[in-house]
Amino acid sequence: MRLTSRGVAVATLAVALLLGNATSAAGQAPPPYFAITGARIVTGAGDTIDNGTIVVRDGIIESISAGGSVPDGAWELDGAGMTAYPGLIEAWSSLGVPSNRRAAQGGGGRRGGGGPGGGGGEQADHSWGPQDRPATFTWVSAADELDPEDSRLERARQAGFTTAISAPTLGLFPGQAAVVNLAGDRPNDMVVATPVALNVTFTKGRQFPGFPNSSMGVIAYVKQLFLDAQHYDAAWSVYDTSPSGRERPDYDRALEPMRAAVRDDWPVLMPGDMAKEMRRTMRLAREVGIRPIIYGAREAYAPGMAEELASTGVPVLVNLDWPAKQSDGDPEAEEALATLRFRHWAPSSPAALAEAGATFAFYSGSGNAGDAIRGARKAIAAGLDPDDALRGFTLGPAEIFGVDDRLGSLEEGKIANIVLADGDLFAPGTTIRTTIVDGYRFAHEAPDEDREAPAAATFEAVTMAAPLGPARSDAATVIRNATIITASDAGTIENGSVLVRDGRIAAIGTDVDVPAGAHVIDAEGRFVTPGIIDAHSHIAAESINEGSVSVSSMVGIEDVIDPYDIAIYRGLAGGVTTANVLHGSANPIGGKNAVIKLRWGQDAAGLLLQGAPAGIKFALGENTKRDRNPDRYPNSRMGVEDVIRQAFLEAQAYQAEGRRYEQALADGVEGVIPPRRDLKLEALAEILEGTRLVHSHSYRADEILQLLRTAEEFGFQIATLQHVLEGYRVADEIAAHGAGASTFSDWWAYKVEAYEAIPHNAALMTERGVRVSINSDSGEEMRHLNQEAAKTIKWGGADRDAALAMVTINPAIQLGIGDRTGSIEVGKDADLVLWTNDPLSVYGRVDATMIDGVLWFEREHDARIRTERAAEKARLMELDAASGETGGGRRRPTSDNASDQEINR
Amino acid sequence: MKRFSQTFAVLALVMFAGAFGPAAAQDSMLALRGAMIHTLVDGEGPIENGVIVLRGNRIAIVGGPDTEIPRGAEVIDVSGQHLYPGFFDSVTRIGLTEIGQVPVTSDFRELGDSNPHLEAATAVHPASEIIPVTRANGVTHAVAAPQGAGIAGQGSLIHLDGWTVEEMFVSNLYMVVQWPNLQTRGFDRSTFTAFNRSFAEAKEEYDTAIANLESLLDDARRYRASDANSDPTQRNFKLEALGPVLAGEQPMLITANAERAIRDVIAFGERNEVSVVIAGGREAWRIADEVAASGVPLIIGATQSLPSREDDPYDAPYAAPAKLHAAGVKFAISTYNASSARTLPYEAGTAVPYGLPYDEALKAITRYPAEILGVGDQIGTLSRGMVANLLIADGDPLDIATQVTHVVIQGRLIDPYDNKHDNSYEKYRGRPQR
Repeated sequence: MRLTSRGVAVATLAVALLLGNATSAAGQAPPPYFAITGARIVTGAGDTIDNGTIVVRDGIIESISAGGSVPDGAWELDGAGMTAYPGLIEAWSSLGVPSNRRAAQGGGGRRGGGGPGGGGGEQADHSWGPQDRPATFTWVSAADELDPEDSRLERARQAGFTTAISAPTLGLFPGQAAVVNLAGDRPNDMVVATPVALNVTFTKGRQFPGFPNSSMGVIAYVKQLFLDAQHYDAAWSVYDTSPSGRERPDYDRALEPMRAAVRDDWPVLMPGDMAKEMRRTMRLAREVGIRPIIYGAREAYAPGMAEELASTGVPVLVNLDWPAKQSDGDPEAEEALATLRFRHWAPSSPAALAEAGATFAFYSGSGNAGDAIRGARKAIAAGLDPDDALRGFTLGPAEIFGVDDRLGSLEEGKIANIVLADGDLFAPGTTIRTTIVDGYRFAHEAPDEDREAPAAATFEAVTMAAPLGPARSDAATVIRNATIITASDAGTIENGSVLVRDGRIAAIGTDVDVPAGAHVIDAEGRFVTPGIIDAHSHIAAESINEGSVSVSSMVGIEDVIDPYDIAIYRGLAGGVTTANVLHGSANPIGGKNAVIKLRWGQDAAGLLLQGAPAGIKFALGENTKRDRNPDRYPNSRMGVEDVIRQAFLEAQAYQAEGRRYEQALADGVEGVIPPRRDLKLEALAEILEGTRLVHSHSYRADEILQLLRTAEEFGFQIATLQHVLEGYRVADEIAAHGAGASTFSDWWAYKVEAYEAIPHNAALMTERGVRVSINSDSGEEMRHLNQEAAKTIKWGGADRDAALAMVTINPAIQLGIGDRTGSIEVGKDADLVLWTNDPLSVYGRVDATMIDGVLWFEREHDARIRTERAAEKARLMELDAASGETGGGRRRPTSDNASDQEINR
Repeated sequence: MKRFSQTFAVLALVMFAGAFGPAAAQDSMLALRGAMIHTLVDGEGPIENGVIVLRGNRIAIVGGPDTEIPRGAEVIDVSGQHLYPGFFDSVTRIGLTEIGQVPVTSDFRELGDSNPHLEAATAVHPASEIIPVTRANGVTHAVAAPQGAGIAGQGSLIHLDGWTVEEMFVSNLYMVVQWPNLQTRGFDRSTFTAFNRSFAEAKEEYDTAIANLESLLDDARRYRASDANSDPTQRNFKLEALGPVLAGEQPMLITANAERAIRDVIAFGERNEVSVVIAGGREAWRIADEVAASGVPLIIGATQSLPSREDDPYDAPYAAPAKLHAAGVKFAISTYNASSARTLPYEAGTAVPYGLPYDEALKAITRYPAEILGVGDQIGTLSRGMVANLLIADGDPLDIATQVTHVVIQGRLIDPYDNKHDNSYEKYRGRPQR
């Protein structure tokens, strides 16, 4: 690049001003007055000007013109051969916010405003609930933490970045994000706009022991904090309106800044990488009424995802650090198709977003802004229009954060953030030669002449096997000539037929009309039963236990459903249609459960059995009282009872508070502040009101009785005793209370409280009038619950109908869905299983599983997709091997709760 | 417990009827009449309305309805029932553990990774409540096997009945070896920490572990060639214990589930000229032809388990026995458990609807484990001279609703209902209605 001066003889001055390190001078020199000439100008606002001139004065773009001349007194920056772009914006980062110093020193956001606490950035206190607000630093503002000496700034500028949305990162609520320019002598020079968003992460960090220690705990925590902020805002609003004679609410430094977010003044940055995570975040945001900006989004290519983002108007910040193969992994290790797919298709996410019309911007993700262009290049190869790619680095983020009136494009009047590249920004081999921030120029070294340009990114749209989903779906289906075990008063029907229409059972009998167009299955020699219902499962959940606290009723499985857990499909193939996904047994009062139908391929919302009564897990005995570090009350069965009683006392007080409020409203009292919504106590109050079912893990006869009596003391009923291995010893008492029992077929001796278990338990309890189900508590056992039911025939002499009822209608009734599913009766959901052989034997194998009239599993279909998936996988592996690319990229997150399950029995 | 090893030696050298463990009352005679007898002897179909006569702990006569029952025999009419060889659970922790989560009740794991001289029978607790519960479902004998890193010790074949362990013990059937894991990422349960290392690192550790195993075998070979065992200053229990392995008298039962591990175990056996049985073999179905060609037999773990890889067919473990059978692999099925060992017949039965011929399923828990472990001429089928371990059921014993009505172990008739579970059931069934 040739630099000439016009009108000023002393060229060296120009060199000093333009080439020199603008930030090294003592005190900031004013930005130079200069013009870039002869460059191709891509304005980022839709225009491209060949051979144009940009005049910059006082750090502002004064003019842009085709041809154009250099005004008097301005330096000329010869841009011949260069392309000028708007300065790139890193849409989510911690650039300039080096180490979260302040946050670490400040301690957690302990309720009541927080004190110095925490101490020295070491380990924070163990927290015992959301009320302790560990890992909350909402008052910390990135703008107040900036460090112009952050070495990452220069690297970012070299890569063409002039601006970043920077946020503190420590904890769950690290603080407030700001739009900052990536150069300045003093921190204050850098700030463009602040605050622009509240930053939320779902990763607490090891510095904050205690609650929350699970993903569902994190979500409950985030939810509760926003609810608290709403309550805080309401309380202060009422107070500020009429303070006279009114008690003043407590000031709370954690909640004060959040008022803006809950009033929708600021958006909230929230994570969401995989589709299920994005949906989870959107759901959470809807629930607490905030405006989210999702960061991550690398699985936006997933079917329907980009469209969903577009239609809801949720902006996304796409992480351009694409997933990569582990560089030092086992060469023989077989990666899952889902992992290969994620790696292959992630770069097509931006194209999918653009296609759907979603609002998006980019960030580098790797922490090195320079990687971003390389990532974008892959996105372009995978179908993203280069103009849209540029937008993702410029106007896109500027609009999302409300600074498009000053940044994001080369337009007159905007901040002079300009990049000069020696070619097309996204062409391989192009180098950023000059970066101009706020009118200050940063020149970069010319690249090595004989350096090889990197290979162009390529992308192949590998044919995807049939998406996860049903085998077939018909408006009407008739299964005929089957032995139908109805699990109803109709008993067993030989040579029977079932007509299924619109998802419901329409007719049953030996003679059923076949409607025109119905899918007919001739089941001669085969058996049909209701879909198996597993009353105790931990599949399809990303976390099982929030064991940091003795009462974790604020958390819920519904918040962490993993709809792509392969266990769902495996369960389907074992005839399971409905599962009660429970929290673990780490604490006397655990989390809320979720009842799902195994509609494989649906998202989390699609799995939920809508209308199923709400429920919650309790637990007694060994798992709740085992030694923990630090000590956690209870440590004995005495303490377990105490925890439960204390919790309900608290819940009664919460109810009373609610009633007082209702009364005040009814009495027409003005300006009453609604009580604080407490997620923990709300769930307990629902139990007292009879709208939430209690499913309690239990073993010993004594603890079973104790729980029944506690429930009776507080006026509620236990819906099911889970495991209940000594239930046979107190069967009469269980029956008298009206609790159901959900037990294992024959497991025993794995722990002391299971040593008195007998396989006759189910049959004996049934004999004594208890409604009994057999459950799996295991992703494996659930695949043959039919066999487990048959064991009640062997041990204890249950009759066949009673045995089958234990995995169909009985669990359905226990879960409060017995009027909809669990038996083959006209009007019920068509949840059916077709078996090759007697299901109450070891030889019954599932041929097909139907949920709501749709065949979600079918053996021939399974065989077909195996082949398709194998072909797809082979191709993906070939491409993978050919690319030879590796890196430390994040692996596809998988849920592995097997060990959890062991602990939960 | 040296005497256990000696018993093995007797068996290995002499192999005559009567050497198979301590006999029951030698003169007792028991005749079971009227059952359909499934002998599982090649070429023999079921004998309808058959007669089986047991003398001492052996089978004296197997025949049809007209068989003459010797005078003095106690005769039991089991008409309408089915009679089978007793089930053999060939890798278990029976007698070595009582309550899973209470470590003090467990004796199957010793410290260190080189314990060839440890014998499971030493620690078998004859009064374990698990024993009667297990035999109630027709499991009449089992191998109590140690577990642990490297060479864990020797698995002891025991009858599931006996006043003392000496009455139960038969012989040490195999040397248990845990093949090293090649894992780059994972969770170490012993230290409760996650680890994450490069493949090169993991591979080096893996290779070293195998090399150590081989060098131990080399030491044992040299030791065997010397006369060190007659000199107390030179004698070494560990090396001595490997003698039967080197002599080809005792196989190594090597735990290997991953495809790579299975291949490497097969190669290890060939390279070191030791007889190998693969334990677990979860991914053996993937390379069934290779395994078949090697001739290495398998004791596969629970059929009722989850596929090992996410993309595996949902029914991979259920269908694995059928695939192995089709390829010609010799295998037995075992529970690898203690309290759940009574489910052994269902582990076998589950493979049937997924393609394993019924007879093969039955043999996989009776005859084949005995053959694989070198005692097939003693136990596992019903014919004259064989050990009298058998079960009588009211139907197909692989199916769940079937009731086992009688169990015979070493010629003794055992009441299957006298166990902790049935006793508890009867007691609480009798609780007066509240």
